[in-house]
Order: sequence, then C-alpha cells, then structure tokens
Amino acid sequence: MTPQRWSQIKNVFQGALERPAPERAAWLEAECGGDVALLAEAEKLLRSHDTLGGFLARPAEVDPEDLALASPPEASPDGSADDGVIWHAGDRIGEFEIIRPIGRGGMGVVYLATDRRLHRNVALKSLPAALAGNAELRERLRREARAAATITDPAVATVYSLEEVEGHVLLATEFLDGRTLRAVLDDGPMNVADVYTIALQVAQGLRAAQEAGVVHRDLKPENVVITPGGSAKIVDFGIARLEGPGHTHEPRLTRAGAMIGTPAYMAPEQLMGEAVDGRSDIYAFGVIVAEMLSGRHPLSVADAAPVNRDRTPEHELLAGLLQRIADHSRQTTPAKRVGSARELVAMLDGLAGAVTSPAAARPSRFWWEFHQVAAAAAYSAMLFPAWVARVEIGGIEGRSFFLATACAVVVAAMLRLHLWFSSRQHPRELAWARRRSVPWIRLADILLVVSLVIGAGLLAAQFVLDVVLLVLAVGVAVSSMLIEPATARAAGLEEGG
Amino acid sequence: MPLVYDELRRIAARYMGRERPGQTLDATGLVNEAFLRLAAERTREFQNRTHFLAIAALSMRQILVQRARGKRAAKRDGGGHQVTLNDLTAPPSAVRAGFERSDAERPGDVDVLALDEALTRLSAFDPEQAQIVELRYFGGLTVEETAEAVGVSPATVKRQWAMARAWLKQALEGGA
Repeated sequence: MTPQRWSQIKNVFQGALERPAPERAAWLEAECGGDVALLAEAEKLLRSHDTLGGFLARPAEVDPEDLALASPPEASPDGSADDGVIWHAGDRIGEFEIIRPIGRGGMGVVYLATDRRLHRNVALKSLPAALAGNAELRERLRREARAAATITDPAVATVYSLEEVEGHVLLATEFLDGRTLRAVLDDGPMNVADVYTIALQVAQGLRAAQEAGVVHRDLKPENVVITPGGSAKIVDFGIARLEGPGHTHEPRLTRAGAMIGTPAYMAPEQLMGEAVDGRSDIYAFGVIVAEMLSGRHPLSVADAAPVNRDRTPEHELLAGLLQRIADHSRQTTPAKRVGSARELVAMLDGLAGAVTSPAAARPSRFWWEFHQVAAAAAYSAMLFPAWVARVEIGGIEGRSFFLATACAVVVAAMLRLHLWFSSRQHPRELAWARRRSVPWIRLADILLVVSLVIGAGLLAAQFVLDVVLLVLAVGVAVSSMLIEPATARAAGLEEGG
Repeated sequence: MPLVYDELRRIAARYMGRERPGQTLDATGLVNEAFLRLAAERTREFQNRTHFLAIAALSMRQILVQRARGKRAAKRDGGGHQVTLNDLTAPPSAVRAGFERSDAERPGDVDVLALDEALTRLSAFDPEQAQIVELRYFGGLTVEETAEAVGVSPATVKRQWAMARAWLKQALEGGA
C-alpha cells in the first residue's frame, strides 16, 4: 500500500461514511469511476467497518503483574549494544589499559582492563561520556565506591579504587570471570544443592554488607556472578547508600520519581519510594532464592520450569526448607521478614545437615540409645539373683540388701528409660534431661555396685552366688564408667552434663 | 521516557500488592494516574499533559508487546496458544487479565503482537492513523485528548479512528 493509494481509499471511504447507508453503494461506484480495484478495497473496508462490534472499542487492559515485570526499554533486544562505549582494546586511560568492553551496568559501561602498576586485571566501570557531566551520576558512583570498599567478604566483589582521570570517573573492581546468575537460571532447573550453596554465599555477602551499613538496593540475578569455581559474588553495589551513624545526613539520591532498581526484585516499600533498609535486600534475596528453586520469578505467570527429577528425599526436604526461608524473606511487610542477613545466614547454616547426608551431619545416637535400654533391662534382671541372695542371707541383712539393690536398680533403670524416651521423642530436650538425670544415674550405679559387693560379703558360704554378685558389680561399674560415656561421646552427647 | 515507563510499573506494583489478584487495570486509569503522580514534581519535563499521555501510550504499547513476546517464547514448546488482549466482547468476569492464558480462543480477542505488527504497517502509509490508534487504544485517551495530542480536530480523529479500526480488523483477520 502506497500513501497515495491509501489517501485515495481514504477519500472514498470517508466520503461514503458521510452518506446514509442506502446511498453508499451508488455513491461509491460513481466516485471510483472505472477503478474496480479501488472500489473493491473501499467496499471491503466498509464491510469491515460495519462489523467492527467491540473491536478496539475499549482501551487496552493490562494485568498489573505484566506491567510490573516488564523490563525497562533499554533492555529491549533491539537497543544498540555499544551505546556509551568510548574506549576500545589498547586504549590507555591513566594507569589502565583497556582490554575490551564487557557489558553495561546500571551505571555505565564496564570494561575489562589491566592495571599497569599492579599487573592485575580489573573490571573498570566508567560513566558514559554523554553522562559524565551529570553531577548526580558522578556522585552516585563515588558513593558506590565508598560504600562497597567498606565491605570485605568473599561473596562481594572487591572494590579496588576510585579514580578520576581525564575528566572520567573510573571505578576499578575485582574482575570476575564467570557467568551471572541470570545466565545460570536461563539454562534451566538448578540443582537444589547448588541453590543452597549460592543462597548461603549471597546471604553471607549481605551480612557483610549490612555489618558495614550498606544496602545494595538492586540485588538481582544479573548482579550475582558465579565464578567457574562455583562461588557466588555480589557485584554492582551501584546504588547502595551508606546508612547508620555518621551517614544519616547524606541526602538520598533516590527520591520518588528518580527511582533506581529493578522492580521485579524490589521490595514493596522500595517500589513505593518509602524508607529502605537492609530488609529490602532480604526481600530481593527471597525472590532470587524462590526463582532459583522454581526456575521462574515468583510473581511471574509463566509456566513453571520442569521440575528437576533427580531430587532425592533429602533434596526435597532441603528445597522445602529453602522455600520457607524464601517465603519468609519476601514478606510484603518488612517487619515480617527475616530480620537481618545475620539471621538469614544462621537459618541457612542450620540447613547444612540436609545438604550432605543428614545421617552424616548429625552423629547417630543408636548405640547410646541401645545401651540405655540394654542397661535398664540388665539391671532389672539383676533383681532375680538379688532375690535369691536375700533368701540365702536371710534376716535383717538380707532384707536390707535387697531393698538397697532394688532401689538402685529402679532409679538407674527408670532414668535410663526416661533418657531413651527423650532421645526418641524430644531430641531437643535431651541435653537438658541428661543434665538432670545423669548425676542420679551415677549415684544409683554406685549404690548398686556397693550393695552388690556387700551382698557378696554377706554370702561367704555360697561360692557360686558370691561370684555372680561380684561379677554383676564389676559389670555395672564397667558399663557405667566406660561403656556408657563411650556411647554418649559417639552420639555427640558428651559435654558438661 | 524511562521515567514514565517506571512510573507505570510502579503503579502496577502497587495495585499488585493491594487489590484482588487478577484485577486488571485499563489503560485510561493507569495513564492518568501516572500523570497525577508525576505531575507534582515533573511537569516541567513535559510540554503539557497530552505530551505526557502520548509518551505513556507508547510506553504501554511497548510493555504489552514485550510481555506478549516473552510469553509467546515461554509457550513456544507448550502448544502455541495465541497471546491475546481482551476487549469488551468477553464477559466482564472473563476479562481477567490483559493477557488471558485460557486455552480457548474467544471471539473478539485481540492478538497484541499481530496488532502491533499491523499498526507498524499502517504507520508506513498513514502515520497519523497509527498514532491515533496508539493513543486511543494503548493510552486510553479520549477523542478530545487525542485531537489535542495529534494536533487535529476531534472530528478528524473520529473519522481516522473509524477507518484505522476497520483496516486493522481486516488486517488481523488476514484480509489486507
């Protein structure tokens, strides 16, 4: 369709519409003269017009979710990639020699460069030439450097220096030869153990940042780099601002209307332009962990990625626990989130057992439990030879002997069964139960040994029974002094109690 | 441009937190709210309200097309349902989202990617009509607002709008 042709069609179409419907056909035919094609086009358009119904009659409707998840226009694939690149391989800027541009951050172009003084590779971030005159961006970059330089953690890309060369502001940071978490996510479902490892490292990085009083404000998969060695590093504290004592008077550069950050990972309070603190990073952390687990953004309506089928029961458990931490981290109300990155790390550390085999992580209490039950049974069985001895000894001595032995047996056996029950049903209270019970068990054991030895002494005439009682006394002593502590140590229970 | 874009998304995020899930926002309300929110501090950056609305309409078009592309890509393996924009022929209860994921194609749905493509074609031979469609449909502007933004009379907007709709309908049905 040429504009000229279109304009002809428009004339007859709009002219026809101004006539009453019955006259249109005749009017059109007259107007088009012999141009049959024009007549056909106009008639087709008129038919379409008469059957418009509700077509485009109401403005577009949009799901808020779609709107919030849309990426900024500069991220569109047709955007020119080299926008802002001003230096090329071999260029020297101050002490840096450019190797190649490696990407665009939120702030500007990032180059791989060599620091010629120290002979090391650095990631060099500079403001694009067009923006270098922008005082706000310059100031923001200075803040980034100051803030990030106070963080020292393996999970945070190290900031080397901030320099102003030939009117450019350059930020030199650790060069990370790896892939972003975004690229890893795009590959498909992640292994649960990897999700855990990355989550733990990111949480540790956030902990270090929070201890330095730094809020990242733009944590997202694009800002987490996974090195070939598998360690995760948070990069681009590009919009972090210092907070805490001494920094409270720094004006915030991120007022409403000049919002920075990526909406899909931004906490609600950040989207609303309200006060932002470390808990906003925790929100972003929660979104990232949820995305790693499911392969999709938690607010996305896209179909979930196919579930990784290689999951063992341990992996399922770990995935479930991580999901709970993620959900807890991305609560809408900041106060309901995990309180700090320190807490986050503690929670994740607590899951460590589930990563490796749970059995290996926590020593088994089986043999200790077995010993408790076996000892209780053996002690109870001693009541039989004790009763025989009581009859043999006779009199007040016999009754006293049996009474003392029975008391010791009942106390020692009952308390051991109590510990066994605690271990099975209330493992968390086991240590406390042991602290209370073990001294009484020891006392009962000593009483039992003493009682058996005295019984043997009173039974001088009965050699066989004598030996039995002495053997039992030695058995109880060995069991109580040697075997039981050994099983407790093996079960990881041996401590002050 | 990114400013308006961000504002639109910020408003959307706010609705997401507060309103019932599944509620949709229409372009008119969204764009006007964005204007009100930005008006206080940013008016100087826009010549006037219609200038702002025009930018907002373009932003909305880009957002909708971008999301539709993403979803189409995500679905490519899954079965190739068309991503559609509802319009009023769907009963209100079914107008769940700008993009309906239902498997059934309802009559009257508008394929946003096809519309975008047709609109681009239209702009090649009638940029004014294409702009009017963008403002009216993606920006939710009234006839009068559109007339002011384009710089023509409301009567012209009505005539152009009618013809553009007729042509687009034909184009989407494969007839042009």
